[in-house]
Amino acid sequence: MHVLLIEPDRMLAEIYRSSLVRAGHTVTPCSSAQAGVLAADQHCPDAVVLELQLIEHSGIEFLYEFRSYKEWQDIPVIVHSQVPSHEFAGNWQMLMQQLTITKYLYKPHASLQNLVAAVNDFAPAVA
Amino acid sequence: MQAQARATDSILSQQLLLNVAEQLKIPLMQIARSAEQGQLTGKTDLTAIQSTADTALRLLDSYALGVRLSLEPQLLQLEPVSVSSVLYDTGQALDAMAKSYGVALELSLHGRYGPVMTHREGLEAALVSLGSALIEALPAMEGPQLTLQLATHRSRYGIVAGLYADTKQFTAKTLQKGRLLQATTRQPLIGLTHTSGAGIFVADAILTAMQLNLTASRHSKLYGFGTVLQPNPQMQLV
Repeated sequence: MHVLLIEPDRMLAEIYRSSLVRAGHTVTPCSSAQAGVLAADQHCPDAVVLELQLIEHSGIEFLYEFRSYKEWQDIPVIVHSQVPSHEFAGNWQMLMQQLTITKYLYKPHASLQNLVAAVNDFAPAVA
Repeated sequence: MQAQARATDSILSQQLLLNVAEQLKIPLMQIARSAEQGQLTGKTDLTAIQSTADTALRLLDSYALGVRLSLEPQLLQLEPVSVSSVLYDTGQALDAMAKSYGVALELSLHGRYGPVMTHREGLEAALVSLGSALIEALPAMEGPQLTLQLATHRSRYGIVAGLYADTKQFTAKTLQKGRLLQATTRQPLIGLTHTSGAGIFVADAILTAMQLNLTASRHSKLYGFGTVLQPNPQMQLV
């Protein structure tokens, strides 16, 4: 399965990429929202792993753009962010429902195994 | 009026601590996930882990120095300092981190400038802190050239020491906006970095404590941040 990994930190991106590859996935890493949209257009991913804190355009802006295209509306998006979910407070319902986030992982507490398991849940690896 | 200023200072110092705490999550995540990866694969990159831990420790040291210099100005002992040698040592301190992030460091020390009277430890800590933040940010930007230049040049205001790259995000406007947003948002320098920008704000705090300024400047065709130091005419006679 093809995973679009939007992660701005180069060192973390490499660690997450290699873990997902080891789990049998193909991964396209991107560091920004703009690069993520372009990569989605080129590779048509089966799942997206998204950090919300990005340079210039945030992960939320990426989600609005991504979900605005009909063909991408059903692609699972796993938010994997250093922003704790409680900071969204009143906007949580909007995040989960309007932008249809499939899962929210708080990055400092999410192990590599948690991330791989979350991706496997929605885009099972080819055996 | 004074009470209001004190309250603002207090909020800003708390915000700086929060920025540092948020920033430290990144190297700690890198260490934790590298260790986990090592357990899963049997291969642990100890050099990368050591370099990452060093980066985190340097940020903490710089933060502590900034606080100490603010609280105890008598610690600010001035000495004649060669700006070129400070930039050289800054490059040495940043080398391992830059390699981990795929950023090339270049020294641009053309011209001969006399020594400046400053607090050497503070100047180097500020430049290393600033450099760490920029190294982390550069690969996350849209199509940047991954080169960071440590440079000095003479301007009409004095001798400028700074770090420069081929990106237009390094502007006075970005810095000014970041300072204003520092107390209210978790990503005050959104056009510049995906992090809390602690390295930049710590550099700002150290330089302020040294009665210097962190400013945006240009070097050749590059954009960057640095500080202006005053040459010491008496030292030039020595």
